[in-house]
Amino acid sequence: MLLAPSDPKILARRDSIVAALKKIVPDGVVEASSDLAAYESDALPSYRQKPLAAVLPRDADQVARIIRFANEAGVPIVPRGAGTSLSGGALPRGDGILMGFGRMSRILEIDYENRCVTLQPGVTNAAITRAVEGEGFYYAPDPSSQIACTIGGNIAENSGGLHCLKYGLTTNNLLGVKFVLPDGQMITLGGKAPGAGGLDLLGLITGSEGLLGVVVEATVRILRKAPVTRTMLASFDSVPDAGACVAAIIGDGIVPAAMEFMDRATIGAVESFNAPGYPDAEAILIIDADGVEADVADAMARIAIHVKACRGELREATETLARAKMWAGRKAAFAAMGKLAPDMICMDGTIPRHALPRVLEGIADLSKKHGLGCCNVFHAGDGNLHPLINFDAMKDGELAVAEEFGADILRLCVAVGGVLTGEHGVGIEKRDLMTEMFSTADLDQQHRVKCAFDSGGLFNPGKVFPTLSACIESGHMHVHGAKLPHPDLPRF
Amino acid sequence: MTRVASENEIVDYVRAARESRTPFEIVAAGTRRGAGRPMGKLPVLDVAGVSGIVEYQPEELIVTARPGTGLAELKAVLAQKNQCLGFDPVDWTLFGGAPDFSKNGTLGGAVSADASGSGRLRHGPPRDSLLGFRAVNGFGEAFRGGAKVVKNVTGFDLPKLMCGAFGTLAVMSELTFRVYPRPSARTTLILRGQAPEAGFAALRAIWKSALEPSGLAYIPGAADFPGLGDVGEGAALIRLEAAARPLQEKIAAARLLVGPAEELEAGETVFARVGEGSLFRDNDLDVWRVTVPPTQAARVAKAINAALWWGDWAGGLLWIGAREEDAPRIRALAAQAGGHAMLLRAPAARRAALGLYAPQPPALAAVTASVRAAFDPLGLFNPGRF
Ligand SMILES: Cc1cc2nc3c(=O)[nH]c(=O)nc-3n(C[C@H](O)[C@H](O)[C@H](O)COP(=O)(O)OP(=O)(O)OC[C@H]3O[C@@H](n4cnc5c(N)ncnc54)[C@H](O)[C@@H]3O)c2cc1C
Repeated sequence: MLLAPSDPKILARRDSIVAALKKIVPDGVVEASSDLAAYESDALPSYRQKPLAAVLPRDADQVARIIRFANEAGVPIVPRGAGTSLSGGALPRGDGILMGFGRMSRILEIDYENRCVTLQPGVTNAAITRAVEGEGFYYAPDPSSQIACTIGGNIAENSGGLHCLKYGLTTNNLLGVKFVLPDGQMITLGGKAPGAGGLDLLGLITGSEGLLGVVVEATVRILRKAPVTRTMLASFDSVPDAGACVAAIIGDGIVPAAMEFMDRATIGAVESFNAPGYPDAEAILIIDADGVEADVADAMARIAIHVKACRGELREATETLARAKMWAGRKAAFAAMGKLAPDMICMDGTIPRHALPRVLEGIADLSKKHGLGCCNVFHAGDGNLHPLINFDAMKDGELAVAEEFGADILRLCVAVGGVLTGEHGVGIEKRDLMTEMFSTADLDQQHRVKCAFDSGGLFNPGKVFPTLSACIESGHMHVHGAKLPHPDLPRF
Repeated sequence: MTRVASENEIVDYVRAARESRTPFEIVAAGTRRGAGRPMGKLPVLDVAGVSGIVEYQPEELIVTARPGTGLAELKAVLAQKNQCLGFDPVDWTLFGGAPDFSKNGTLGGAVSADASGSGRLRHGPPRDSLLGFRAVNGFGEAFRGGAKVVKNVTGFDLPKLMCGAFGTLAVMSELTFRVYPRPSARTTLILRGQAPEAGFAALRAIWKSALEPSGLAYIPGAADFPGLGDVGEGAALIRLEAAARPLQEKIAAARLLVGPAEELEAGETVFARVGEGSLFRDNDLDVWRVTVPPTQAARVAKAINAALWWGDWAGGLLWIGAREEDAPRIRALAAQAGGHAMLLRAPAARRAALGLYAPQPPALAAVTASVRAAFDPLGLFNPGRF
């Protein structure tokens, strides 16, 4: 796989660039090739590249100075949180500065009366909940990577989690940020008061994959923990029955705290991995209901009726331990893939829920066509599908086959009215599929928004957009045909 | 005035306006036309005809409708399936003097003006519900942003920008929302005789709980909403919703937190009026919507010292009726508290001088202008309105 070639003119200036960075952050520049290996990839390990240098700022002022320098020197910047992106969002540029937020990991203020926490971008997702759970609060978005991933990365990817049907993605739980622009100026968006007082740029930068600027501070909403949570496991002899049950539950006005689907292949894999004791079935659903006691009882009773009507079998768990066991298999689904094959890619399309049986059949056909195994887990409540493709990167050509299989799955998701990514982001991985979902006019509009923030292409170049076109600055005029095809960029 | 009824007709109109460099005003029902900077006499593009429900899939929690669709019509269709819009769209009846008032506000108008009522507390403002849209930009190109599924992070989240843009970015032609189940039971509790500090503190106690309230308003004694009865110094209103049995549990839990609060029969009507700003209909006060961190509500309200005001969103929003000379103080107090003061209604000269919001710091103003230019470089759409 080809990566964007480095600009030799920038590489030639490496020493002076490193020296300039050291002036700004004397104790936080990584330059030795062996040390830079730590940053060469994120959680999409098939793409690797060492950055020109890495810099680890300690505060917003250093961030701004680094950015101002890089902008003037024409050196790209790739921001990086914990490097858990599954789409190559934090993949470095060989001719770029990698900006790591590991040392900006302080919680600045906990304000229970206004239900919010203000923090630096390098704080991990799980640390927010840890800081407030003593008072009975938590931070709702809970990506499975939450012990490692950072709030800066969560904001850039608009990350979700198991509970986002009910409690929303990052964007619905973010109140404000301090954000540094390519010219080094810092803007404040949102805050503790509701409303933007202008265009909703906070909403725009959330999920912008590090392309518009750098988050140096965030204020997030915290929620009071529901007094009661219960878990149910429903098993089905057919995928359409499970799909019908999901539709019936949602159609009945129930919004479960979580509702996860696993297919036969996944059930088998996790059983041989950590034996959660799942029933032998074509599909299972694991469902959390939370709220006040009577709310939960009401939801559970209605869910039980729907499960029965869809010919499913039901188990319930009330105690924390029993609940944890029910969830153990689902939570180990990624890890269990290691039993099936040395390598795995996790796809992330969202589909209208009613299309689930059709899409799973389509994936089974594609699995035969490409000769690779695939297990399916599904955030059933919100239609976010995670096909896990098993392969062996050591085998000649198998990575390419796995990637083509993945691309075919995403094309199928778009064909049924869905999207390329529900929570992992486009990054480098799905960049060349953007045209499957968006027209030229759609992409032009997004690209002009990128130019409105970053006309010089300073931040995270080569990500998200399939072709790069120059930003036409004069009078902000849009010029058709100004697209410069970049044959050097890797194809999916 | 030109009426259009489809996206294609919008495209044709925008292309012609672009050719001739003729800015225009975008109007649907016109119920919010009084908000924002006056734009002078401009040609009017009437988009009310771009209406109708395109697709409604209750099990997918999604509805797609054209922006000219009446709010009342859409609410009725959703109610048939026991669903509702999450952002509690409201018509601002305080513009009652306008000739168009008899009309029912549209979906597109509510989104563009970011008009949400008390229920916003539970499921958020329009930006938390708008999943996707189609629109025509200032290049005369039809484009889409977002998608028609409840979870999507593909590309930039352009739907967010449409909410509260007052029509300055694009002419919308289709909107897709996430919808929510309508709770089967709902009630309003009232605590009477509350000074602002105590009243807002009671609201926050509920807001910080796990009771998922769908309305938390503070009404001072001077704000005479019909149906409230005698509230003494002021009243805290708490709206709770759930299925029937859980609702009883929530009421009991709320009383444990704030003390003996009685159920208020007229609760629904009062909350509707609170969101509409209806008490301003028959006076000529300037009307401000001031947002502040909830803990600042009582202090800011006191410092503004308005003749007529009330609070919503657990204190996050203050509706203020003020006089001309109060304007600088209101803007300054909102800014000090970390909030915003939106001038919703005032005579044209004052709206021209003060704008909808206070001027932004230079760096933010510059990005905002660039983003606008990315959609509408010639400034064709509602120029200067906001
Ligand atoms: C095992 C595993 C499970 C996962 N489960 C989930 C899940 O359930 N749900 C989900 O949504 N995701 C999941 N992910 C994906 C990933 O964890 C998220 O995308 C996460 O938000 C990335 O955070 P990070 O700190 O690792 O960011 P990185 O990977 O370091 O960076 C991600 C992107 O954010 C940008 N960025 C980082 N910090 C900043 C900043 N301060 N300012 C501007 N841009 C910045 C980077 O440039 C990059 O584009 C999972 C990943 C793994 C490995």
